[in-house]
Amino acid sequence: MAILEAESLSKRYRIGPREISVLDGVSLQVPEGQFLVIEGPSGSGKSTLLSLLSGLDRPSAGRVRIAGRDITDLDEDQLAPIRNGTIGFVFQAYHLVPALTAMENVMFPAELAGDPRAAAKAQALVRRVGMAGRADSFPHQLSGGEKQRIAICRALINAPAVVFADEPTGNLDSASGAAILDLLTEVHRERRTTLVLVTHNPRISATADRVVRIADGRLREDRSHAP
Amino acid sequence: MLHRRFVGRVLVQSRRQAAVLALCTALSLISLVALEGFAAGVRRTLIEDARRLQAADVIVRANLPFSPALTAAVEGLVEAGRIAAVRVHEFYSVARAAGGPATLLSQVKVVEAGYPFYGAVELAGGRALAEVLRPGTVVVEPAVLERLGMAVGDRLHLGETTLTVAGVILVEPDRPVDLFSLGPRILAGAADLEAMDLVRHGSRVRHRYLVRVLVEAQVPAVVETLSRAALAGQETVETAGGADSRLKRFFDNLRFFLGLVGIFTLLLAGLGIQSALTALLKDQERTIALMRALGATRGFVTTQFLVLVVLVGLAGTVLGLTGGALLQHLLPRLFGGLIPAGTRLGLEPRALVEGGLLGVAVVFLFAFLPLYRLGEVRPAAILQAAEQTLRRGPAYVTAAALAALFFVGMILWQVQDPRIGLLFVAGTLALVGIIWGLTLLVLGGLRRIPVGGLVLRQAVRGLFRPRNATASIMVTLAAALAVIFATLLVERNLNATFVQSFPEDAPNLFLLDIQPAQQAALAAELGPAAAFYPVVRARMEAINGVPVDRDSERRRRRDNLARTFNLTYRDGLLDDEVLTVGRALFRSDWPPDRVQVSVLEGVREMHAFQVGDRIRFNIQGVPLEAVVSSVRDRTRDSLKPFFYFVFQPEVLAAAPQTRFAALRVPAADIGRLQSRIVAAHPNVSVIDATAAARDLGRILRRLGTIVRFFAAFSVLAGLLIVVSSVMATRAARIREAVYFKILGARQAFVNRVFALENLLIGLISGILAAAAAQAGAGAICTRILDIGYRAYPAATLGLLAAAPILVMAVGMAASRGILRRKPEDFLRRQDA
Repeated sequence: MAILEAESLSKRYRIGPREISVLDGVSLQVPEGQFLVIEGPSGSGKSTLLSLLSGLDRPSAGRVRIAGRDITDLDEDQLAPIRNGTIGFVFQAYHLVPALTAMENVMFPAELAGDPRAAAKAQALVRRVGMAGRADSFPHQLSGGEKQRIAICRALINAPAVVFADEPTGNLDSASGAAILDLLTEVHRERRTTLVLVTHNPRISATADRVVRIADGRLREDRSHAP
Repeated sequence: MLHRRFVGRVLVQSRRQAAVLALCTALSLISLVALEGFAAGVRRTLIEDARRLQAADVIVRANLPFSPALTAAVEGLVEAGRIAAVRVHEFYSVARAAGGPATLLSQVKVVEAGYPFYGAVELAGGRALAEVLRPGTVVVEPAVLERLGMAVGDRLHLGETTLTVAGVILVEPDRPVDLFSLGPRILAGAADLEAMDLVRHGSRVRHRYLVRVLVEAQVPAVVETLSRAALAGQETVETAGGADSRLKRFFDNLRFFLGLVGIFTLLLAGLGIQSALTALLKDQERTIALMRALGATRGFVTTQFLVLVVLVGLAGTVLGLTGGALLQHLLPRLFGGLIPAGTRLGLEPRALVEGGLLGVAVVFLFAFLPLYRLGEVRPAAILQAAEQTLRRGPAYVTAAALAALFFVGMILWQVQDPRIGLLFVAGTLALVGIIWGLTLLVLGGLRRIPVGGLVLRQAVRGLFRPRNATASIMVTLAAALAVIFATLLVERNLNATFVQSFPEDAPNLFLLDIQPAQQAALAAELGPAAAFYPVVRARMEAINGVPVDRDSERRRRRDNLARTFNLTYRDGLLDDEVLTVGRALFRSDWPPDRVQVSVLEGVREMHAFQVGDRIRFNIQGVPLEAVVSSVRDRTRDSLKPFFYFVFQPEVLAAAPQTRFAALRVPAADIGRLQSRIVAAHPNVSVIDATAAARDLGRILRRLGTIVRFFAAFSVLAGLLIVVSSVMATRAARIREAVYFKILGARQAFVNRVFALENLLIGLISGILAAAAAQAGAGAICTRILDIGYRAYPAATLGLLAAAPILVMAVGMAASRGILRRKPEDFLRRQDA
């Protein structure tokens, strides 16, 4: 069963008199538990596709369904519980809340959901990624790799059906990047979480179940790797 | 090099921050400019209309009957055809309605024909005073008729005579404002003065000659002639323009105090300017870093922003000057009856020029540090997502020192009294310092204490957002609110103590000008509750042989040595007195021919008298030198009578004197007792202190409102800092709001977090303000005013409710665009 479905997605921007098409008629079905990589050169539209699939942005045309629910026309407040419970995000720039400690950042989505076990879950996750000793640090006290590990914990705390990761290793050195990728793939396997990851790193693509390639806003290639 | 297009673009792009900067500049000026312009208008009215307000060209005053030499000099000038002169006697006396029990302490003015030389006494019905005020008649203020239940045509007893009320006074030229007085006016003709028999030896009568100089150019010569004839220190001769009137002194004092409030606002608005400019420069930090990366020098960058600051500062200054000019037209309504009717207000060039210069000075002073720090922005900032932390180096210290010097200079310029100026500086620094310390303590505690509840925790974390200016906002708001609230608390306590619940143990009825021969009869009438005190009126001439400088004494804002003192004599201390220096009131080890005087601690505020100091008094022309034998203090201030100087009975028993009596009477009996005393002893003035306190309470309330009105501008400065702080942390707030939403928070959650953050700022500011105000007002009431203190918990709760609501409303209004930002929009900008 498809956990994520995109149907003829298009995204156009108007800048003055000019209309720019960033994405044009992309359709996609992502089965539950799949590790999907969206790859393509810079400016190809891959991050836009991720934004539309995750409900961060609204398409100019087409529909998006997550876990069977059409999210295309939902407003921000209607999207909130989906972002909180069904989706997890990992960004290239980490986007940790600067005023919160690492532990508090991880706990935050669970607390929003009113989960009384937020702290215990966060501790377990932080331990799992080897960050127990840094749990009380603030984001500015962490290295890039450490921030990203905390961001991954935060994305996973509510056991989302889909984790979206946008260039999660883009800001890291190769060793840290490899460690983060290992972590993501491990938790994907452990939890059978659907992972949708944007990258232009071919080595990451090689580890995915499936790779779709975007160029000039269109889906150019869709290939699956043998399990 | 100036890049005009760049400056224009930045102005448009950062228009909100620029607007707050301009508003802070305007706010720093508005109250001082309004006050200066308004004061200049009142001063001009007092000077230009001086002849009308004094009803004469030259005024000769004395608290004792005029000396023969002076009287001869006046009469000589009249006979020579150089001047016209009228004598005016003014005193308090109790009037009684003929045929009725009602009595009223009133301020009686007895004038000769010809009064007033300038202006006119306006009577109801429009008739002229000379036509109405005939022998055997009086004209009175409406309050006399109301309170005695009389009408025009009725008769009233005044002293030993009975006079007919012939008219109602609407305007009296030389009594232009509604200052505190113990009773309404009764105006009588000189022909009836003798029949009243109220001017006796030792009576409290203000004697005046109002002089009209027939050739205006001769005014200085007339003043010279009369001054030569006047008894130094006892009789004063002044021109109308130079007259040190009670009104002028009152207004100078009020303006002086409000000027200090204005400087306080200036200080807080200055902090607002710094905060707003920091917000503006923060908004442009990446642009600045980029310019530096492209090779712009520090000088180039600073020039562009300096020009921008000058433009915005000028706009703010113009706004402030305009606002101040407009505001001064509202002030007459605020001041009510406290300024002369017909005061003409207009643009005061001096106030505008001073305001303009002040605006430029304030902007440069507070813009210095943010502009200096422009040079510390490194090109690498364009690559850094994190906030740059700027060090507090020598420039910071220099800017802070310059700001401190500027304020000390401003205060000394405004106050023109180094002692009071430095006290004000110390007081302000103490207030701000204590609040700052408490703020840091509270914030430090909040940072460490684990906070439960998601929304509350996010809100608390928000307080520590880099560049949030949380401490500055709290200090500014708390200091401003503390000043406002403290004035309210002091006013309420004064009102409660002296007006609403007149002290139970304090006398409420005072009898003045009792002739010694009347004491026995009055003592029998009043019973043992009445305490009688002998009163001998005297002036102080010299201390240890050094003459008292009467001119400089009169310029003092508080009590001074140039006034007439009431001396008394007795052997021992009163119940509420203790000795602070010496073992007995009078020294037994001193030779018997040495005249001894015991002084009260209070008088040492005017001069630091020590035991052994020689004081020369002049008792109605007779010199008397006394040596200070002891210093007394009162165990608590109350309405009980007290005397600065106490002599041994044998020294003053034979001096010309009156008696003063004080007693406690059930309120319901005051009217009847007053009537009986006045019927039997018409020359005795009976003061109902509870009624006088009510009148004083009315003036206190109005003065409190005026002070709070001006202090409210400092609250606006605090709120503008809230706005500029929101702007300075705009990016961080947007980021937080977006992250919350990405992680699944609803808009309501985001709103709650930000609202709670502002609520916390307001609540903490309110608590600090309430604490500082309670401590300050408590100290003023118990230490300075020596009255009991009530904390007024309901009013305090009102402050604690109002402050958070105010800050939340302003903070949320300033954050409107921030809170609604969509995640994708933010993330796209980040990527860009």
